Amino acid sequence: MANSDSKVSDFLDPKVLGRLIGLPLDARHAMMGSVSGRHRSPVRGSSLEFAEYREYVPGDDTRRLDWRTWGRSDRYYIKEFEADTNLRLCLIVDTSGSMGYGEAGETRLDYTRSMAGTLAYLAAHQGDAIGIFPAGKDGLKDEIPARRGPVHLGVVMDRIAALAANGEADLVAAIHEAAEKIPQRALVVIISDLLFQPAPLKEALQHLRFRKHDVAMFHLLDRNEIEFDFDRPTKFVDLEGGPSLLADPTLIGKKYREAVANYLETVSDICAQTGTDYQKVTMDTPYDQTLAGFLLGRNPRTRKTAANTG
Amino acid sequence: MNFLQFSILAALPLALLPIIIHLINQNRHRTVNWAAMMFLLDAKKLTKGIARLRQILILSMRVLAVLAMVFAAARPLASGWLALGSGGKADTVIILLDRSASMEQQNLETGISKRSTALEKIADVLGKTARGSRIVLIESAGLEKTEISDPSDLLDLPTTTASDTAANIPDLLQAALDYIATDQSGRTDVWLASDLRSSDWQPGSGRWDTLRGAFSELEGVSFYLLNYPEVENDNLAVSVSNLVRRRGPEGMELIMDLDIVKQSSDKEAVTVPVELTVNGARTAETMTVNGGELRLQGHTISLGNSETKGWGRIDLPADGNNRDNTAFFVFDEAPVLKTVIVSDDPLTAGPIKAAAAAPVDSSRSYSSEIFPVSRQAEVPWDDTALLFWHAPVPKPGSPESGLLEQFVASGKSLVLLPPESVVGTDSSNDLMGLRWKPVNESADTGPFEIGWWRTDSGLLQNTRNGNPLPLGSTKIFQIREFEGETQAFLKLQDGRIVIAKHINKLPGNLYIWGTLPRSSHSSIASDGVAFFAMIHRALQLGGNYLSNAQLRDAGKGSLPAEQSWTPVSVRDGDEGSLNLELNAGAFRSEGKWLALNRPAGEDDLRILNDESLEDLFSGLDYRVIQDSINNRSSLAAEIWRVFLVAMALALIIEAALCLPQKVEEPVTAI
Repeated sequence: MANSDSKVSDFLDPKVLGRLIGLPLDARHAMMGSVSGRHRSPVRGSSLEFAEYREYVPGDDTRRLDWRTWGRSDRYYIKEFEADTNLRLCLIVDTSGSMGYGEAGETRLDYTRSMAGTLAYLAAHQGDAIGIFPAGKDGLKDEIPARRGPVHLGVVMDRIAALAANGEADLVAAIHEAAEKIPQRALVVIISDLLFQPAPLKEALQHLRFRKHDVAMFHLLDRNEIEFDFDRPTKFVDLEGGPSLLADPTLIGKKYREAVANYLETVSDICAQTGTDYQKVTMDTPYDQTLAGFLLGRNPRTRKTAANTG
Repeated sequence: MNFLQFSILAALPLALLPIIIHLINQNRHRTVNWAAMMFLLDAKKLTKGIARLRQILILSMRVLAVLAMVFAAARPLASGWLALGSGGKADTVIILLDRSASMEQQNLETGISKRSTALEKIADVLGKTARGSRIVLIESAGLEKTEISDPSDLLDLPTTTASDTAANIPDLLQAALDYIATDQSGRTDVWLASDLRSSDWQPGSGRWDTLRGAFSELEGVSFYLLNYPEVENDNLAVSVSNLVRRRGPEGMELIMDLDIVKQSSDKEAVTVPVELTVNGARTAETMTVNGGELRLQGHTISLGNSETKGWGRIDLPADGNNRDNTAFFVFDEAPVLKTVIVSDDPLTAGPIKAAAAAPVDSSRSYSSEIFPVSRQAEVPWDDTALLFWHAPVPKPGSPESGLLEQFVASGKSLVLLPPESVVGTDSSNDLMGLRWKPVNESADTGPFEIGWWRTDSGLLQNTRNGNPLPLGSTKIFQIREFEGETQAFLKLQDGRIVIAKHINKLPGNLYIWGTLPRSSHSSIASDGVAFFAMIHRALQLGGNYLSNAQLRDAGKGSLPAEQSWTPVSVRDGDEGSLNLELNAGAFRSEGKWLALNRPAGEDDLRILNDESLEDLFSGLDYRVIQDSINNRSSLAAEIWRVFLVAMALALIIEAALCLPQKVEEPVTAI
């Protein structure tokens, strides 16, 4: 069980924040925010970004008639512009016992805290709402809905600091529950090791996508869990309280690696099929590097540049 | 399997080391908190069977490697037969060596005989396996027991040299049995090297039952039968018998039966150069052997008038066995063939006297004399060749008993005839274990028909031209049964023995007749021919020991010890022999001449077959080793190399099984 006595300063690094503060957190789809912001909205608004022409219907504000078009075509058209809105960042984090894997201070949960805290800070900094949805044994546990404001950020940070890896957690149920509870389009970021049979995950992600959420998945694995680099008999103690297993890695290593490869391929396929932004992360990669890659990958400009150069 | 370094086998438990190390490693595992249990469980489920098999194989190979290393260090010995052995070292090893003349059959390329081959191989195998064991040699010629400190000495001992004797395998085994019983030899290996000649093994002898029973009661006695049954093709053997010197029309001449036998299944005629030497004068002639055998009966050699006594030899060219290429003979004036009948019954003594006095050979003198029982002390023992004793058997230890035994011991022939006895009288007296059974009045009376008689040897053997004696119509009216160890010559249809020869080791012959030649007892005398032949054959055998020149079989006691014998002619290579009586040759001592030759049984090619051998040793712990004079390989070869190869193979397989599995490209290409 990972410790739950973390302080915000333990997982929030000002230097990392300083480096990442210039990178915007963008959504890949239109968001439905409550206030004006920097994200595209599905409704028309008053931004400077032209959206489309529409025929005038009685009741429309005549001030929005495009007189030039009337002059050319002798018809009444309304000129519409995109609406800019804020973003709801909903962090679904796995708190199962397996998230406590790793050396003290460098556990998977510590990594999760750093990522979640940093993302929350970056979102709050650009005026977006943030919420956190920890996955518990039967679904969500002590979730905090997305809201804006520095006070709420403090509440979220405290909840992140209070996360504890303990026992079993039903991430799939948590995702389904979050999909129902998050009222409008949001950016849903899932951080988990996904150490369960991946088939039910597809349905849960589809549920999120059905609710028009932009879904991103951080799949955290330790390199040792992938490469299984052991050379002598080892007793493996299940972090989630299951039975222990004594095994000779030289005998089962090959089959283990084959199982991991199959599993990763399945998870990757599910994410691709559900339009989930899948981020496979090994924990020896610094989290700021992981986040930088994630943020840059979502930025339309850098994505376009990458596409042009690629 | 046997080992030169047996004590190293104490390290065999080291083979458990890999298993112990494996178990320790299993318990020395480290503990890791692990999250990805689902992959572990999947992998373990998939690899359960194969992994277990692989692990068992690896452990087996490690155990095998250690075992092979220990075995190799223990220097194992093995060959096809030895691998069947139980291993371990015997406290005593007894070597029974057949030194008979037939064991001198040699490999024509190497000149090494069966005897030498057997000795070399036994010395070699004992040198490897019996270090520290007591080694005792018992050889067939003298039955002498020689304790040997080093097996290699076997090749240099005077008691392992070639001889012209016959072997008596039951005697050899009896000597071994006596040694084991007397010396408490502990666990004993008995090596018996022979050429399996039936004449030496005597498979029909009743002694085998006794020997088998005695050996089966001993614990820890194992037999190794090192056999050389092969017979050299085209070997020629010469022998001389029935030699008589007589005066012929052109002076003195020798009459003899000369046999040259070709020991081969190939019966094609072969021409043989024969060298004849008489008193040092050599002549050569060529003889043709047709059908595998040349038998010249009454072959005559002219001596001239000057040669009245002396020696001679007949030599054949060298071949596969040089021991049977020479026959020695000596000659002197023939003695009178005297027969004595001790009897009070003229109807019995009369026909015998008449038959014994009738000459068979006109050149010789015959005489016969009857002594009443009361005058038996007057019998001329020294001049008598054949004695009929028609009187009660004297009490053992009495002077008469001693005289009779000495008579047989001096080579003469003695015939016991059934005495007149009253029903129920004491019949406990015996002569050398031979005694009359009590008279039974209620027994059936004859006539009894003859059922069988021995035609291959003995008094009733077929005539020289191969015809059987006319005994079929002979009737027996009265018979007195006897008991003792005998060889039957004549049996009734109901199986009762009428005429037999006592089995003993004395040079003379002791016969016993269960009926009398008088008409009230049998028609033997009236039928004539067989009766005459029996008397003269017994007389001839006894007469051989009357002459100043005698032909004898080589063997222990063949040269009377009371005289000093000088070799006149011996085979090349035998001049320095310490034991003259074991080798063929012509000898002289104070006017007496003696020619020693190999016994006739040595020319008998019949070999004991596997079934007979199995019967003789049934119930005993024995192993048969069929060897050959052409086989130069050792009986026991060191096979540590095999174990080293096995160890290397085990290690290679183990290494292959332990090779780390091919590592795939990392699945995380992040």
